[in-house]
Amino acid sequence: MEIKKHPIKNTLLLLIVAIVLNACKKDVTTNANTNLPVVQGYLVVGKPISVRVTMQKVLTDTAVYGTAIKGLKLNISDGSNTIQLTESSAGTYTYADSTFLTTGKTYTLKFNYLSYAVSAQTIMPAKPVNFTTQHTGMTIDDLLGNNNPLDTLNVVSWANPDSLNHVLVFNNLDGISFPASTRFGNATTNFELNTSRAAAYPFTQRTFAYYGHYQVILCAVNQEYINLLTSNASGSTSSNLSNQPTNVVNGVGIFTAMQADTLQFLVQ
Amino acid sequence: MKKLLLLLLFVAVAFCGFSQQSQTQKILKKNSISKFYTCSLDKMLDTLALDYHLNIVFERDSLQKMDVVEHFFNDRLQDALSKVCSEFGLHYWIEANGIIYILQNTDDLARLKKTNKGDNMASGGIKPVLLPDPVEPPRHFMFSISGRVVDQGTGEPLPSASISIRNTHLTTITRNDGNFILFNIPSDTCVVEITNSGYQPEKIRLDAKKINEPLVIEMFTALNTLNEVTITGKKSGVMNTDTKKVGVLELNPASLDKLPNIGEKDILRAFQLMPGVAATNESSSGAYVRGGTPDQNLVVFDGFTIYQVDHLYGFFSAFNSNAVKDVQLYKGGFSSQFGGRLSSVTEINGKDGNKNEASYGVDLSLLSVNAFAEIPVNNQSTLVLAFRRSYQGPLYNKIFDQFNTSTVQGGGGPGGGGGPGGPEQTTPASHFYDADLHYNYRIDQNNVLTWSLYNGEDETNNSRALQIPSFLTSSVNSINITDYTKYGNLGSSVKWFKKWSKNVYSNTYITYSSFFNDRNRSTAGTTDDSNGDPVSFESGIVEKNSLNDVGVKSDWNWEMNNKMKFAYGGFLTRQGTNYNYVQNDTSTLVNERENAFSGGGYAELLIDPTDKLHLQPGVRETWFGPTSKLYTEPRFSASYLLNDHFTLKAATGQFYQFMNQVTQEDILNGNRNFWLLSNNTNIPVGMARHYMGGVSYETDQFLIDVEGYYKTLSGLTEYTLRQTNAFPGSIATLTQDFYNGTGYAKGIEVLLQKKLGNYTGWISYTLGQAEDKFAVFGNNYFPADQDVRHEFKTINMYHYYRWNFSAVWLFSTGHPYTAPLTTYTISTLDGNATTAYTVSGKNELRLPDYHRLDLSATYDLLKISGNKIGSIGISLFNVYNHTNVWYKEYQIQNNAAIATNVDYLGFTPNLTLSLRWK
Repeated sequence: MEIKKHPIKNTLLLLIVAIVLNACKKDVTTNANTNLPVVQGYLVVGKPISVRVTMQKVLTDTAVYGTAIKGLKLNISDGSNTIQLTESSAGTYTYADSTFLTTGKTYTLKFNYLSYAVSAQTIMPAKPVNFTTQHTGMTIDDLLGNNNPLDTLNVVSWANPDSLNHVLVFNNLDGISFPASTRFGNATTNFELNTSRAAAYPFTQRTFAYYGHYQVILCAVNQEYINLLTSNASGSTSSNLSNQPTNVVNGVGIFTAMQADTLQFLVQ
Repeated sequence: MKKLLLLLLFVAVAFCGFSQQSQTQKILKKNSISKFYTCSLDKMLDTLALDYHLNIVFERDSLQKMDVVEHFFNDRLQDALSKVCSEFGLHYWIEANGIIYILQNTDDLARLKKTNKGDNMASGGIKPVLLPDPVEPPRHFMFSISGRVVDQGTGEPLPSASISIRNTHLTTITRNDGNFILFNIPSDTCVVEITNSGYQPEKIRLDAKKINEPLVIEMFTALNTLNEVTITGKKSGVMNTDTKKVGVLELNPASLDKLPNIGEKDILRAFQLMPGVAATNESSSGAYVRGGTPDQNLVVFDGFTIYQVDHLYGFFSAFNSNAVKDVQLYKGGFSSQFGGRLSSVTEINGKDGNKNEASYGVDLSLLSVNAFAEIPVNNQSTLVLAFRRSYQGPLYNKIFDQFNTSTVQGGGGPGGGGGPGGPEQTTPASHFYDADLHYNYRIDQNNVLTWSLYNGEDETNNSRALQIPSFLTSSVNSINITDYTKYGNLGSSVKWFKKWSKNVYSNTYITYSSFFNDRNRSTAGTTDDSNGDPVSFESGIVEKNSLNDVGVKSDWNWEMNNKMKFAYGGFLTRQGTNYNYVQNDTSTLVNERENAFSGGGYAELLIDPTDKLHLQPGVRETWFGPTSKLYTEPRFSASYLLNDHFTLKAATGQFYQFMNQVTQEDILNGNRNFWLLSNNTNIPVGMARHYMGGVSYETDQFLIDVEGYYKTLSGLTEYTLRQTNAFPGSIATLTQDFYNGTGYAKGIEVLLQKKLGNYTGWISYTLGQAEDKFAVFGNNYFPADQDVRHEFKTINMYHYYRWNFSAVWLFSTGHPYTAPLTTYTISTLDGNATTAYTVSGKNELRLPDYHRLDLSATYDLLKISGNKIGSIGISLFNVYNHTNVWYKEYQIQNNAAIATNVDYLGFTPNLTLSLRWK
């Protein structure tokens, strides 16, 4: 009964061994993702191609964009032809011939950065059809005016038999902003809305934060753009943070194709 | 004459068997005294003992020095004794054997008992007959006895009392209802010995008459419980381990005031001081057992499931300790009687109530008022009522703010819930309450009906009428903001206990339990349109989640012989969940209603082939409606006594869970928990396998318990709810994502407990690991949110006369978290920039170590007769004010990310006053 004499000793020994074995493991964060390049490229039919490549920023950096990555060789292929972009300004790579982009083709971006072979792929969607608005303008009131805030004042619609992704982009064309109400705080004059694969979108009192002339652009977009738009990437606590979704391999950001149709709209 | 009296007394004692205490009490109450004393106290006691045939034990040396000058005229003997005792700061205490002890301090009893020999006992007293000799030779052999053990004072059944037959190995433990059965009693002259913590030991000589009917054994409370510990049966400490079983913890709610508390004596918090139950989640009183989460812990209260165990953001548990008789926590590998959860079971039994006399009590603290009553309604029934409500004092507000404060600056809520204009400073009204009712009706010896009701609720209400700015008063009539959160439980059960024969009994339940969690953040009012007519408007968010659970179940026990018991039963449940998210009064974004029927049965054998070996194989079958599948859960546990001190134990089993608690993150308004049922699509049925083993070494003084566990988990679900397009457009969409994965947990727990003496306490160490693998986060295992590597707890209690001091120190390595490493910015199509993080691997980093020290001191209030009538206590929480980080918060300002720590509670003192009346 030797064991009976030293129960505590044995237990402590077990404990110490367990702690020592475990203490050897150290929590180290090694995340190579922080070196990946940030890609931003929107391919729009009829417009020159422009892709911006920057570095990621340290958390305390107050600049809008990270340091531009210069001297890269960016290629875009449509399956049969490959073009090379030229660096028009630091980190911005362009290609002027707008005929390269056509509906239905798959475009693949490729370049090398550090040891990474960076690539991204996107398909050019079809141009929106039958984009119309019920009225050419609408009148909104001051805070809690005569309208019920939820009454539909105008509807824009388009053909969408296949329930494809569209976003509505609103550009306020007036140089000076006239806020419609104070309730929106620091809302921007230009904004975009996800139409959630619908074929129409109703405007209410609350759709607009500012009076003025608007360019309403209906963009047929790919899922990768919707993912970016709806991601919760600015999640705010250590328990719900996640990476922003990206379609760039060995990189972050977005490389996506789209086509647009435009209307004019007046909010007064 | 004297001889006749003695004879009468002897006969009375012999008939009562074990009620000499009542005899002494009767003498004290019935007799009056008219006498003039001018002598020392010891002489006076000698006279009393002689005159009234009492046994009085005291320390003659001390009492000699106390001079009595008293004139009693027709005073009750009891009052006279109380008077002289109080004059000299003494207490008297009547033991079960009828002896009166005169004590200077309550701890003197043990010493006086030891030195209770001739010279210091008052002369003239009769020697009480403790155990009569057999009156006739044995006539019956190898028979069985059954009976109940109850508290002499209250009539309340005593669970876990140890029953043994002297000079044999026959022993058993009373069940929750105080009943027991023992087979193969060698003869009808045997002596039954009964011990129970907190009570004085009892002995009964069997005879031919007694063995034919159930024994009702009344036990007398002990003055203090320091020296009453036995290895078998229930322990007297506030928190004990069942060394014969793997992973079982028992809590004694009556001793809870010996531990530090922050506002409330909390039964679930107390379990967190033991190994294997994480102690560092201040925002959840639910049990994180062995790498499991609170929703994997089944909480059963008087037979019905409680779905929400938190008050005040989880800082307090929803159970009122004054209404609770006992609590068991099964840390895993549990019996086939329980099912539906992956990790553990907390079984709470309500008090049956005082059968003999009404008793009342009230606890006051800086946080709440807590009152209870135990009322004997008639000879057959008792009623227990308990009610607790918080009041919004400084302590409540401190905790409320701690769990409600955020550094994120919020404007109006999403979808326009908030009011216009800048942020408003308001103080929300907030409170919690809970109520318990327990009605016990003993129809006859073999039938008992029990009705139990529990209701608890938390409410935070920030509703208010908005001050309308003067420039708008012409067009706006009124704006009212509704902003409240309510959550709570209502549960009830009716239990029918039926004893079918000496060795077969059943408990049949009808149960109901509901849980709700509602939030309403909306604005309503009226304005005048251009014609001056009033127009009403309403906008905002109303979220409702509810769960209903109705069931019947029946648990049967058939005690075949001393070596074999058979437990079996069946159950049928209907559960319904409802989750409803309505925006602006019209658009319902989520409306999910689910119902599930489930039913099944279980069977379990409890086999003791030898005195040393215990085997417990079992199986549980559940048919779950939504998946239309039958789930089989085999279970097995065993223990083996190597010798008097060492026990080996092990358990394994398979466990299924058919519903999940999901958390909706909401920093501004507090996270919301709600329940969803498993289905065939996005929420799978969870499954776990447990493998646990351990060894314990126990002496009268010490216990060392080491257990190890390994669990595999599959069918885990994580949930996110995202609202998009909420601003500025009015049509919002909600995206619900369900992520599925697997996981495992493993660990070693060590407990070193000192059980006896003025100093008691324990040291607990847990080495654990809990990891999950979800495809959405990659192909590797990552630390689960609740993963903690090392946890060390030391609980120290010191008893000094009427004082109880305690010190609790907790240390744990940090919880895992995910951190942003870099940021980057993308311009969207509208030309605005969005900033995103590149984040570390899921839960790759660790928060700083958690540690804190809690202290408390409690002073017992005693009557002259030695009975406790209450206590005054002071508790200090987080004495050295260590900053423990709860989580980190990040926000983008000027394109840079700013990190802020959100901390747990700092130094917080509390006072409590408890009073009891009979």
